Amino acid sequence: MTAPTSAPEDDLVISTERLTKRYGETIVAVDALALRVRRGEVYGFLGPNGAGKTTTLRMLVGLVQPTAGHATVLGAPPGAPAGLARIGALIEGPAFYPYLSGRDNLRVLARHAGVAETRIPGVLGQVGLSARAGDRTATYSMGMKQRLGVAAALLKDPELLILDEPTNGLDPAGMAEMREFIRSLADGGRTVLLSSHLMGEIEQVADRVGVIRDGSLVAEGTVAQLRGRPGLRVRAEPRAEAARLIGELPGVESVTGDDGLLEVVVDTAQAAAINRMLVQAGVAVSAIYPHTASLEDVFLELTTADGGPRS
Amino acid sequence: MSGSVNAELLVLRRRAATWILLGIWTFLGVFFAYILPYALNPEDALGLEEFLPESLAGTLIAGFPFFGGVFAFMLGVFALGSEYDRDTLKTLLVQGPGRTTVFAAKLVALALVLIAFVLTVFVGGAIASVVIAQIEDAPIVWPSAWLLVRALSAAWLILAAWAALGVLLGVLTRGTSLAIGLGILYALVIEGLLSAFAESISLLEPLTQVFLRANGYSIATALGAPAASIESSGPGSYGGPFVDSIQALAVLVVFMLGFAALAAFALRRRDVA
Repeated sequence: MTAPTSAPEDDLVISTERLTKRYGETIVAVDALALRVRRGEVYGFLGPNGAGKTTTLRMLVGLVQPTAGHATVLGAPPGAPAGLARIGALIEGPAFYPYLSGRDNLRVLARHAGVAETRIPGVLGQVGLSARAGDRTATYSMGMKQRLGVAAALLKDPELLILDEPTNGLDPAGMAEMREFIRSLADGGRTVLLSSHLMGEIEQVADRVGVIRDGSLVAEGTVAQLRGRPGLRVRAEPRAEAARLIGELPGVESVTGDDGLLEVVVDTAQAAAINRMLVQAGVAVSAIYPHTASLEDVFLELTTADGGPRS
Repeated sequence: MSGSVNAELLVLRRRAATWILLGIWTFLGVFFAYILPYALNPEDALGLEEFLPESLAGTLIAGFPFFGGVFAFMLGVFALGSEYDRDTLKTLLVQGPGRTTVFAAKLVALALVLIAFVLTVFVGGAIASVVIAQIEDAPIVWPSAWLLVRALSAAWLILAAWAALGVLLGVLTRGTSLAIGLGILYALVIEGLLSAFAESISLLEPLTQVFLRANGYSIATALGAPAASIESSGPGSYGGPFVDSIQALAVLVVFMLGFAALAAFALRRRDVA
């Protein structure tokens, strides 16, 4: 189900080896994580709440020290000024000085980062905040703060963007806009590591996806790879007879039953042939249609099952 | 580094707490040094000369070791502790200047703001002393420039030592509330009560001599602050013994640098989670 993770070392923007974070003796937030993010891609980092996504991201920017293992980000250790100078990050929600305006908050960050303040109007415009830039951030909605967080991440014109749940607090239109924006950033040559628990968000913008559960990467690949091969869904009576007949056909990899439906892993072009065969055999076919597992199906399977890593 | 200092100055300048503390401290510093004691009865209290411009250095600096220290302490707590409260520390650190640079910039900005805390009280005190001199028809004679420079420097050092303690507690407690609580506990209960008991329990005397209070007041008295006013200054009172002024300077410098170094160490080592 997963794509090969090997890539030339030069092509890797983020690389972790057995990256581990423990809190005390019992809590393992991140467990021997091996993450590879390639240059120029949008890498979706999926996982349920508490899976270890944010802890991983915090380690990648040096806010949290790993207990074991190591990571390289843009060729530098996490948190090294040389690396951070080329990274824009929004980690676990935006945090700004409430008594400063959006513009002044960016001014503070630009001065710390050694970035020309002339970039500020541009990034404010990119996230659609120019009109409210002079207002104190205490008056901003959650969505506006999120936008300002993305603007802050863009200040350094970074090669790598690490965005943790960037659409939190945005309305549906804002979410769609943000997805489009993230995609455009990647199309402009940037690498984006996008953490989320929203399947639709990842499905629409990510080139590759890593799924983390209990601190470990349990699957990695393109969205298409994770969703697996398309197949057919067949509703027919008698179901057992239909399953037997379909299973005897050449090219059929598997037939499984689910809620009165048969899930058939087969080339979807065979739908008509299967339908004809079943009807000729006296089986009543009420529905037959192509089906591909959604990323949500895959995610739920990966993050709720007890199975081991899918790699 | 200069960019980070400018950033921190912008943050401090726009923070309401900075101006509120500066305003209250300036008012109280002048009020308790001049207005209140003069209004009550200057002749019976300290003598008119304490309120005249010539005694400016000694009269004002007596308010720094405790009252001024508490304000500087709070400023120090806000400088670092509020970064944890608001989670803005992570926003700063991912910008890339490095933890030590961010911390150093905060200290430098704080040190510069403390200069304002010293100057405003001295300006306010100078105005009050001139007004009193005119009311009393007394001559306006200013202290020597050298005495003023020493008083201003000592006042800044006293505030800086307290601010560094605030910074340390802000970092250690990762916030403002507990840090301020601990600071008040230290200033009032530990330093205050132990200093009071030291007058009757000789075993405590060596301990109290390393307190911020003892060393701050020792410098103040060396610069002309009347010991009588220090002994009767309410919760910040101190009855001695006073230590040598050089020793007091050294202790305050060691405290200031030690608190700052410990805070820097903790900030560098600990996770920002």
